[in-house]
Amino acid sequence: MPVRPVLQLPEPVLQRPTTPVDAIDDGVRALLDDLVDTMLASPACVGLAANQIGDGRRACVVDVTGHRKARSCHGLIVLVNPVIVATAGDELAREGCMSVPDLTGDVARATSVVVRGTDREGAEVEIEADAFEARALLHEVDHLDGMVFLDRVESHAAVFRRKVYR
Amino acid sequence: MPTLAITAIGIDRPGIVAAVTRVLLDHGCNLEDTAMSILRGQFAMVLVVDAPAGTDAAALEAALGSETAELDLTASVRELHASAATATAEGSRWTVVVYGPDHPGIVHLVAARLAAANVNILDVTTRVTEGSATAGSLYSMVMEVLLPPGLEPDAVEAALTSGPEAEGLTCRLHPADADVL
Repeated sequence: MPVRPVLQLPEPVLQRPTTPVDAIDDGVRALLDDLVDTMLASPACVGLAANQIGDGRRACVVDVTGHRKARSCHGLIVLVNPVIVATAGDELAREGCMSVPDLTGDVARATSVVVRGTDREGAEVEIEADAFEARALLHEVDHLDGMVFLDRVESHAAVFRRKVYR
Repeated sequence: MPTLAITAIGIDRPGIVAAVTRVLLDHGCNLEDTAMSILRGQFAMVLVVDAPAGTDAAALEAALGSETAELDLTASVRELHASAATATAEGSRWTVVVYGPDHPGIVHLVAARLAAANVNILDVTTRVTEGSATAGSLYSMVMEVLLPPGLEPDAVEAALTSGPEAEGLTCRLHPADADVL
């Protein structure tokens, strides 16, 4: 269960929609373990999608535990074949991404969300989340659809360098 | 490989960016960071580019002028010396919005007070409105700044609006830090 390198744009796999998982087997569970380990290895990381570590299967993990902007918090969320089934609200906030280093952007996202998928045993799960946890889920599902936050930036003045000096 | 700072400004019309970048591309330059905007009807460009070894700044400036002559741009090319900015700036990011009745000195007042508090300005846009029959012009400024650790935004707001020189100015700070997802 190794920590895997997080790929960065312009790596093409980040812009390709991932493929739904047919059946959950040990290979898929190993991928989920790698996602969790890689997420936990980065202190600021609150979520990771499979294509960020170069795997084209539709799976992601999210954990916003302890984040100051979190309201709902389901702890560690592991999702295979996640689909957004409902959203509500709209809020602008600045996002960064491990796969888009140095840049940040202001992105409008729903403030509450319902996501459906399966867990690591293949049982169907439905997660209702709001605030920061909703944003994190939407960000990861975007990855699985081949999108990064830059695809969502609508204001011309909204992309900044994350670091001021090098 | 020299790093060049290039500025170009001229009356706004379609084709300025295309013309300037054509010349730079023809001279083997690679655009790094750029900022371009319309200021009072003038299209203004500031570009930092990497140029091939041996590029002569004065010659490139002359080429920019002659090869975009129909646009009547005012252009300059200067070589940058790249050793300086290596320090890592620490702190939190904030958006500062300042507005009030237009008069000379607003930007300097705000910037000087921010500098005195060791606040680093990262980005500034200012605009002034035409004003109406009953009210004068409104000056507005939006900045992105880096507050040093330990400096509270309330203290900055208070510092920016204290004293008679700041009469009529409204200042607001909003958090602008990004969450890494």
